[in-house]
Amino acid sequence: MAIHSVRQRIIFLFVSLVVAIQVIALGLITTANQQVARDSSTAALQRGERIFQRLQQQSQAQLEQGAAILSADFAFREAVATNDTATIASALRNHGARAKASAMMLISLERVVRADTLLPERVNTPFAYPDLIKEAEKDGKSSATVSINDVLFQLVVVPVLAPDPIAWVGLGYQVDDATARELQQLSGMDVTIASAGSAGAWILHATTLPEPLKADLLRHLQARGTLLPNEIDLVGETYETRVTSLPTGAGNSTITILQRPLAEGLLPFQRLNSAFFWLALASVALTIVGSAVIARKITDPINRLALAADKIHQGDYSSPIVVEQQDEIGTLAASFDQMRDGIASREKEIRRLAYRDGLTGLDNRAMFQERLEQVIRIAKRGGSYPSVLLLDLDRFKAINDTLGHPVGDMALKEIGQRLVGTLRASDSVARLGGDEFAILLPTGDAAHVGTVARKVQTALEAPIVIEGQSMDLGASIGIAYYPLHGEDVTALMRSADIAMYVAKHEKSGYAVFDPSYDEDRKSNLTLLGELRRAVENNELCMLYQPQLKIELGRMTAVEALVRWHHPAKGLVGPGEFIPFAEHTGSIGIITRWVVAAAVEQCGYWHRAGLSLRVSINISARDLREREGLPAFIAEALRSNTVPAGLIGLEITESALMEDPAGALATLERLHALGVTLSVDDYGTGYSSLAYLKELAVNELKIDQTFVMGMESDRQNLAIVRSTIELGHNLGLSVVAEGVETEFELRALTRLGCDFAQGYWIGRPMPVDELEAWLRAAHPA
Amino acid sequence: MIQSNIPRSGVAIAAMLCGVLLAVSQAPPARGATIAAHVRSPAGAAIADAVIYALPAASLPLPKPTLKIPIEQIDREFVPYVSAVQTGTTMVFPNRDPIRHHVYSFSRAKTFEIKLYSGNAPSEILFDQPGVVTLGCNIHDWMIAYVQVVDTPYFAKTDAQGGAQLVNVPPGKYELKVWHPTQKGGGEPQAVVVGQAGVAASFVLDVAPRKRRYKPPLDKMHY
Repeated sequence: MAIHSVRQRIIFLFVSLVVAIQVIALGLITTANQQVARDSSTAALQRGERIFQRLQQQSQAQLEQGAAILSADFAFREAVATNDTATIASALRNHGARAKASAMMLISLERVVRADTLLPERVNTPFAYPDLIKEAEKDGKSSATVSINDVLFQLVVVPVLAPDPIAWVGLGYQVDDATARELQQLSGMDVTIASAGSAGAWILHATTLPEPLKADLLRHLQARGTLLPNEIDLVGETYETRVTSLPTGAGNSTITILQRPLAEGLLPFQRLNSAFFWLALASVALTIVGSAVIARKITDPINRLALAADKIHQGDYSSPIVVEQQDEIGTLAASFDQMRDGIASREKEIRRLAYRDGLTGLDNRAMFQERLEQVIRIAKRGGSYPSVLLLDLDRFKAINDTLGHPVGDMALKEIGQRLVGTLRASDSVARLGGDEFAILLPTGDAAHVGTVARKVQTALEAPIVIEGQSMDLGASIGIAYYPLHGEDVTALMRSADIAMYVAKHEKSGYAVFDPSYDEDRKSNLTLLGELRRAVENNELCMLYQPQLKIELGRMTAVEALVRWHHPAKGLVGPGEFIPFAEHTGSIGIITRWVVAAAVEQCGYWHRAGLSLRVSINISARDLREREGLPAFIAEALRSNTVPAGLIGLEITESALMEDPAGALATLERLHALGVTLSVDDYGTGYSSLAYLKELAVNELKIDQTFVMGMESDRQNLAIVRSTIELGHNLGLSVVAEGVETEFELRALTRLGCDFAQGYWIGRPMPVDELEAWLRAAHPA
Repeated sequence: MIQSNIPRSGVAIAAMLCGVLLAVSQAPPARGATIAAHVRSPAGAAIADAVIYALPAASLPLPKPTLKIPIEQIDREFVPYVSAVQTGTTMVFPNRDPIRHHVYSFSRAKTFEIKLYSGNAPSEILFDQPGVVTLGCNIHDWMIAYVQVVDTPYFAKTDAQGGAQLVNVPPGKYELKVWHPTQKGGGEPQAVVVGQAGVAASFVLDVAPRKRRYKPPLDKMHY
């Protein structure tokens, strides 16, 4: 049986404890009682046996005495002495009746029967029990139990004295049920006298047992003879049994069986047992009732507490917990109630924090998703078609950067209010984070959605005026319909996100998601989105690798290298996202970020008196812009008051070869700015010397594969040497990249290389680390 | 046996004297020879209380018994224990005890009964048949006495040394017999010829020891 409640467990524990004790006690008492009963029964039987033997001896002695008195009777002796058979027989009968004997016989000294009242035909035959005479000769009397024609007699033989023996007289007393009853009265036991009859079967001559028991006992006797066990069953009742042999004149065996019902001895103990049983039963019943009451007292308040806890679990904090008890459970209930209040107030606060945007007071992303989920659930049942609009503000970063975050925050608040003002009450609007907003339209067809999108656009196009400053902010809107573009929150939001980036990319204002976006561009677009976010959220960072001016033995330049702290992937190297950015046309954003960051840093160093040229990598795509980039760089230099000579731009050889003519023009503009121009990865792009000569560049960077191979490959050494010579001949300075051993640095020094860069010199480092490193390398 | 009772009372001495007188008076006028007999057990022990009697081979005129032979009751015993008498002897049973006795015999040689009496018995009993007469007292079961009734005047009882003298036996041929109350075997009759000088005879007799029955002691009142 599985017990699931404390109440059942308490009752079960108490009851099983009491039952166990009672059962053990009952068992012990019963065992002890039975032992005592058996012992006392055995003792009683033994006592009875002794009494019985004594009785038998007494009765035998009485019979013998009677016989002796009879035989000593003068008249009897006279009659015997007459030698007249008829006289003797009649005297025997007469005197036998006097002695209450049922059989009388007279035996001559020659042991021949002279008279026999039972079996007259035995007259003049030898006496059948000569041993009795022998014994009587010795002791003056003898007696034995003999069976005559299967009738049992106690035969007593005494001499007829005159005063020497002149004959023997035998007196037979029949052994019958009356004999047994007499013995029973005195001994208190059932008495049975049995013998093996002439036919071999047992005969019960005398017994106090009633008829059916008699038959049963006879059956036992036939089966086991005199070897009866100490306990035998007679008609279902156990009798303790003792068997004693009786002396017999002849060879047949006669036994006395003494018996006593075992139950007789057990009776008082059975009364005790039954009293104890009822007592045990009563105590178990009392225990059940008592433990049930106690259990109820304990479990009722617990159940009430459990109910209350369940209510709290379901979010119902309103019902107070009332347990009017002054004990531990009462205290527990009070604590429980306090806990309920605490949880209620905290949950309220958590809800507020969890589902509200602190700045705008709009729903946050979590709340929006929850609402969207709910709307989708309703839509699934009711056939409505909700849609999601994701908004990303254009030019917001510029506002933040130029006017500061407080202004940006106010702008966001204003936008939030405008959005709310545009929408119906059933629609909901949320700020997902940064300058990203979302609108949920629970119903409406595509036309309605389009209308809403345009209304939003119009609302956001109106200039925002904050503290007297007017700002123009637009938004790119991505739209996704349920269930067309996604059947769950995640899918729908992603579709809207993709559509939004498409809109932004195409500067189309708003775009409805199209499944074609979602093929292989899907991940790209996602990455694109992520990359945009990376730029906006400052997930990009700069590392600077020092360049050694070999001639001076000092670090005079650093190369700026971009890294991306991806929120999920961790630190991502440029090789993993720059090619993608170039391909998707978003490299411009990154380049601008890098230029801004590097120029800013350079200006910082410059102002701090650290004259380090900072080289920035420019992509081939950047070169196509012709106007934009040079202007941006010029602006950056100006705003940071950095001398153009402290900024280097590195363009790969392969980038130059992509659009040689276009590159040429852009390079001219950049060169005009006064920045240093380097050909990166020189030796890998198959550029012709003639072309190289025409380019307005200042520096060659030997590709690291040649530098790293110098030590083992003479060809590489030759390439490095000739490149250095070539560069010098063209009036260009030469930078060796990938310097990783001292050997390489010495070789480059010998070859007259101008700059060395690589792990042997120093690895790319964050600003702080670099500054410390420089201080260590060039102590002031 | 007689001597063994002498110290017991003055009455016994008187009885003994009387017996001797009787024996002497019994002797015939013609003096004869003496048969000196001796009885012993197979182990060689002397046997007392054996009766030796000589039956004449030819019928002779034998003297008739004339004396009354007593068997007294003294101290609740028959005295003597063993007696021998000639057929035709009258016996008397004087009671010397202060209590009564009831003398009886169921023996074939003589069946009689003298009911409770004290002092001299009210009747004399004639032992007119040869044979052993066993006497008992109906009141005192242990009291027993034997009388060997023989058809000859020549008999004697062995003394404690096992010797017996048959005196005044006229010369002639005799069958010499021995009898004892508890005899088991032996004691074959012997033929003897008595001359002027007399003869000696010796018997080997196997006897059982006398088994006395329980005799309750006297109480304060001597009953």
